Amino acid sequence: MSNSALEADVRVDPRAIENRLAELWRNNKEAGDDALTRAALWNVVAHTSSTELHTEASGVLGRASATVPQRAIIVRAMPAAEPEIACWISANCHLVGAGKQICSEEIAIVAGGDRIHRVPPLVNALLIPDMPVAVWWLGDLPNEHEDYVLSLLEPADRLIVDSVHFDSPADLLLVNRVAEKTTTTPADLNWIRLEEWRTATAAIFDPPDMRSRLNSIRRLRVVAATSDTELFGESVEALLYAAWISAQVGHDVDAHGKVEGVLGSIDYAIERRRQENGAGGIIHAEIQFDDGSSASIARDRDRGILAANVDGVISMPEAITRAVLQRPDELIVRQLKQAKGDQVLLKVLPIASRLAKRMER
Amino acid sequence: MSVAAPAQALAPNPLREGLEQERVPDASCLVIFGASGDLTSRKLLPALYSLAHDGLLPAGQTIVGFARPDYTDDAFRMAMREACDKYARTRPVDAAVWDNFAKGLFYVQGDFAEPSAYFRLNQKLQECDRTRGTGGRRIYYLAVPPQFFPVISELLGAEKMVTDPERGGPFTRVIIEKPFGHDLQSAKELNRVAVTTFRERQVFRIDHYLGKETVQNLLVLRFANGIFEPFWNRQYIDHVQLAVAESIGVEKRGGYFETAGIARDIVQNHLLQLVSLVAMEPPVAFEADPVRDEKVKVLRALREFPTGHETECTVRGQYTDGSVLGEKAIAYRKEPNVSPESKTETYAAMKVFIDNWRWAGVPFYIRAGKRLPKRVTDISIHFRPAPYPMWRKLRGVTTQPNVLAIRIQPDEGISLKFDSKVPGPSVRTAPVTMEFRYATSFGAEPPEAYERLLLETMLGDSTLFARRDEVETAWSWLDPLLAAWAADLRPPDFYAAGTWGPESADQLIERDGRKWRRP
Repeated sequence: MSNSALEADVRVDPRAIENRLAELWRNNKEAGDDALTRAALWNVVAHTSSTELHTEASGVLGRASATVPQRAIIVRAMPAAEPEIACWISANCHLVGAGKQICSEEIAIVAGGDRIHRVPPLVNALLIPDMPVAVWWLGDLPNEHEDYVLSLLEPADRLIVDSVHFDSPADLLLVNRVAEKTTTTPADLNWIRLEEWRTATAAIFDPPDMRSRLNSIRRLRVVAATSDTELFGESVEALLYAAWISAQVGHDVDAHGKVEGVLGSIDYAIERRRQENGAGGIIHAEIQFDDGSSASIARDRDRGILAANVDGVISMPEAITRAVLQRPDELIVRQLKQAKGDQVLLKVLPIASRLAKRMER
Repeated sequence: MSVAAPAQALAPNPLREGLEQERVPDASCLVIFGASGDLTSRKLLPALYSLAHDGLLPAGQTIVGFARPDYTDDAFRMAMREACDKYARTRPVDAAVWDNFAKGLFYVQGDFAEPSAYFRLNQKLQECDRTRGTGGRRIYYLAVPPQFFPVISELLGAEKMVTDPERGGPFTRVIIEKPFGHDLQSAKELNRVAVTTFRERQVFRIDHYLGKETVQNLLVLRFANGIFEPFWNRQYIDHVQLAVAESIGVEKRGGYFETAGIARDIVQNHLLQLVSLVAMEPPVAFEADPVRDEKVKVLRALREFPTGHETECTVRGQYTDGSVLGEKAIAYRKEPNVSPESKTETYAAMKVFIDNWRWAGVPFYIRAGKRLPKRVTDISIHFRPAPYPMWRKLRGVTTQPNVLAIRIQPDEGISLKFDSKVPGPSVRTAPVTMEFRYATSFGAEPPEAYERLLLETMLGDSTLFARRDEVETAWSWLDPLLAAWAADLRPPDFYAAGTWGPESADQLIERDGRKWRRP
């Protein structure tokens, strides 16, 4: 059941947004609806550049607010559109049992032409105090407009991107610069998707007798599923995986993407394979050890799992990790539930951009 | 005799850094004694499956059921699958996860007192070491009545199925369920038996309350926030109330309950655990011994009941016919396996003092009961009123003390009640409540207490388990009261099922000018 009076979009004057929101809740209270609670744990600013992305952001944050209540501010910035700025307010309400509803606010800001530069200060004024701020950037990062990105990030505690949409390694570097130069911590939905692969890989090395073999890795092969478009972003999950292994095991990756470990040069192969479904994801990962044995992880789509096996000298029971397709709102929720930024991702980003050089060759 | 050096600690798996499952235990064989019982099917197996579902069990983790009925491995698996379908937190059961989980599920038939059964069990465990990489690591879960504990532990020792942690090598741990004895003497005997086979640090005494998220959050609330601790003492707190209310009666446990009563069943363990967490000093670290050292200090500081006057600060009650949540409820004395003249208490209320620097003079009112209006566990901290009533001459202003309420179950959360001005030209006040609810703020359902506690045992962390001295100190405080109640020829004070207890319980607190908080 939803509260249609609250959930309807209401166009408002940008200067009166807070007043109109207060009025909305007051009217609702006067109507005697005590079963409704207004809640927020985060300010989430979604930055979009088209109507489609705006609709997507609204849907995703609406669903995410059922788990993490938030004030959602959705910005649609279209430099080529008429120079104007318009705002709407509405609420996302969700039943929480016993007839009670939790509602979160959604503010939409649509800006065109040079008015898009007025968006960052407006967003700043609309943030709920004492609550963390996440900026979710939908689509490719405009690394050619770094100043605009940085001005929106000024109040942000976290920048959420989805590197599957990146069109070049420069985007990875921009995210890395955000981490280095600002107090905003980057987060990547692609990195959350990778968690199932990281868990499956970590499980291989949980048994005490496998731990030492981390030092005897000679080759790493990761296969990424790609579509016909050959978009760079479709390889990023595989790149992040390889970079993660290197960061955690202690392999050195030089500026040209060459990898060295305690046993000398290590072959990191990041391959692309055209596949109809699951573009952007990893299909298969294989780790070969010094003694010729190997461990591998593969996705079993039918059973919805990742299955890991170690062959050769040491064997272990099949380890499985649940691999469920995560919807964007679930990925966003996972992000918002983490109190702090992911320190491992920060280690991995610069390595991933260096490993990307291997793919350019 | 030479003693082998303890095994060197293995470096943590670097690939686990930053993962949701940062800590994964080494694979072991978990043997459940009493695997055909209710606890196994309702709680233990569903909890283990949910851990597997969330990726928290290591590859190779093995569970071996041990009980008298004659099951095959497959029949046991099928029964446990049904149990998980019914009771697991993570439902519906995921076929792929179950298939893999079930590969590590085995059953050994045997009598707890039959030595040859332990030989068969040991053979099975050694086979699992070879095929599943469990490396000799053992956890024995005694989901059995306490009278079986001595024979099980003796035969495990005789079959050399217990390693000594002082000598290094793979670990052996034993989990025991409450009741940890019937009184101080039996608790001491149980503990004595335990240490003939196991060392104290191998013994994990489960009190499932300690596995609840909100109970653990008590420590976070108190010690991770700067604003509460300065007020957490006799200067600012008027009194504390703790309530463990159950809407159900004794169900099929009439026989057991007749010998126990609510004081042994709830007060000695769950309620005193909560009291110690509310009242303890900050531990030097969130680790097993520092936390339990502080808890046991609280128990040692509990003021003894005045000899001969025990009933003045305690109430024992028993439910009679009534109705709970719209359903008719029969009197305790009419329950199966209960004497029609039973004096066993199904309700207890007590006024308790903790004689230490922090709590001197602050009463803790605790109560627990069956067949109360609803199931709820709740702690409330009642603060002293503002020192000077500056509004006293104004009509419409009635200030009320602030109350910080911590709801342990259900609908877990924390609320703070304070007075606020009612909008308008005149000064009128009304109490308002600031609420935090787990369900609203964190969405996801918290894991079951047993999941957390089983995982902690596998990881070897005993912070959330009761230590020997905690158990014995709690009994030594409660024993004189139980003896006084047993010697009292009067029947308990009766209360109708579906009410908040006998009138005498209200009088107990109202004598002090206070009232029970309606949880």
